[in-house]
Amino acid sequence: MTEFSATTPFRLVRRLAAVGQDAPSLYLLICDPAEMDAVLADMAAEVQIQLGLELRAIAASTLRPETLEALTEHNAGQFVVIALAIWLPELISSLDRNIVLLTSGGAVALLTSSDIAEHVLISAPNLRNRLTDVLVFRPDEVFGDSRA
Amino acid sequence: MEADTKSQAVAFDRRQVYRPFLERLNPIAVPRDLLARDLIVAPAHDPRDAAQPPIHASLATSAELTRGIQIAVVGGIGSGKTTELALTHKLLKRHADAVSIFLDIANYADLNELNTGAILASMGIALAVYQKQRKSGSEPTGEAKSAYEKLRELAYGTTQWIDPDSVEPEPMDYDDGGPDWVRVKVPGLIKLRLPALKREVKDVKELLHRIASPLLEADAQITFLIDGLDRLIKADRFREYAEQDLRALRGTKITVIVAAPLLLWYDESRFLQDYFDVVKHIPAAAPAESAFLVEILERRGALELMGRKEIASIVKYSGGVLRDLLTLARSSAEYAYHDDQDRIGRQHVRAAIKQLGNRYLAGLGKTQRLRLKQLASNEEFRIDDPTSRELLVNRQVLEHFSNGREFFGIHPALAKVLPKSV
Repeated sequence: MTEFSATTPFRLVRRLAAVGQDAPSLYLLICDPAEMDAVLADMAAEVQIQLGLELRAIAASTLRPETLEALTEHNAGQFVVIALAIWLPELISSLDRNIVLLTSGGAVALLTSSDIAEHVLISAPNLRNRLTDVLVFRPDEVFGDSRA
Repeated sequence: MEADTKSQAVAFDRRQVYRPFLERLNPIAVPRDLLARDLIVAPAHDPRDAAQPPIHASLATSAELTRGIQIAVVGGIGSGKTTELALTHKLLKRHADAVSIFLDIANYADLNELNTGAILASMGIALAVYQKQRKSGSEPTGEAKSAYEKLRELAYGTTQWIDPDSVEPEPMDYDDGGPDWVRVKVPGLIKLRLPALKREVKDVKELLHRIASPLLEADAQITFLIDGLDRLIKADRFREYAEQDLRALRGTKITVIVAAPLLLWYDESRFLQDYFDVVKHIPAAAPAESAFLVEILERRGALELMGRKEIASIVKYSGGVLRDLLTLARSSAEYAYHDDQDRIGRQHVRAAIKQLGNRYLAGLGKTQRLRLKQLASNEEFRIDDPTSRELLVNRQVLEHFSNGREFFGIHPALAKVLPKSV
């Protein structure tokens, strides 16, 4: 797997706070599939504490191309994270072609495993070119960050 | 406790340093907003010919002087097509009677499920909405209003409630003893260059024409700037829309300027060059154009946070891809912020280049790496090879134009992280 910069939920949200969460941005976030729920829970807590926002986690398997617009219409005051637990080529193709819709409402993140992230980067050139960053979640201890 | 308060205050200050810079550098910001904030640097000339006017000026001139002209702007992902369309849109407003509509098709329709006629319908709806919102000028005619309603029905469909008893049952298929007819197509001598317009496309064209008629009769200059179709990576889909939706507009005096996918520029059929009246290609900026790229970063406030060496490094490793230029500057700023630094240093730029390079490196298999190695060894880059085309679409390989010569090169950020062995 290609080596990407490491981050933690705390550091990612701190970064969002610096940029401003209303700015259109798109992150590809990589984590261990077994840790996905824990990462989402940590992110939800950080988003609440640091930004005062709600994290809206959506399972990618529930998304359909025709629901993309609804997804972005309602994300004011929310940080949207699409959890991509399995490889969904049709959905990724749809996101790639309609990428402008996805990023029009503010910050959005795709959370997935390293294998699927690699698939996304290969098969979605429009999405890849518009990614704000690709980051890998590592335990807080690696950075010496306190979880308290 | 005191130390905590102090560190929070410092962090807050630094955020105020970086936030405006990062806002100005958003590589996926809407060009309209950037224009309003004067953050777009207009190129001084055509990227393929320094003696020619810049693309947006050339497009605006063509639209103003030749009503009904159809123009394609072709380039790779992030090359600045949308920016050129936005600049053209702004320029066209210099004439009071100009009706110029910027249409990102993705905002109107799902590009996956698009049917022929849908782009034409989106144009008709946008034109009707424009007429409705226009502050001056006459009210849309009754005919235009009814055409708009019908167009909406065609575009979005309708739900009707009908009495099931009123529906005639389908006739039963029974053997009447007659012959069973089989459809046999006998090809003619002449092969049509373009397929016939589909019935639904003709219907939509008629409605669009009724909406546009009051403006056309007043001799207005109508220009549609259509963005988003370049995201249809497969050339055949784009070609289908051009052959139907755009061709339906031929002879209507409605001008169309459309962003087209890069692969069509290299398509053997030369459809783009044959179909469109004018084709403008935006290659990745060649190293000789670095002054233009530096100016873009300076306009966004780069000198407030980094030195000229860092700017030069970002320009070099962007490969002349405008979106990558902004991405690198932005990532560098974010790395500096993470490091609790007040200015962007060389190490932050290096980290940003590595990160961008890794993004291009992801998923490269043996065949792709071999092609890249061949390109690095100055071997011929064959654009008819599917792997080479894929590398070009994905921007791992960039097309440049300099001194009248087109050439290919590995994206410099990718080249930086590419392992030496295949």
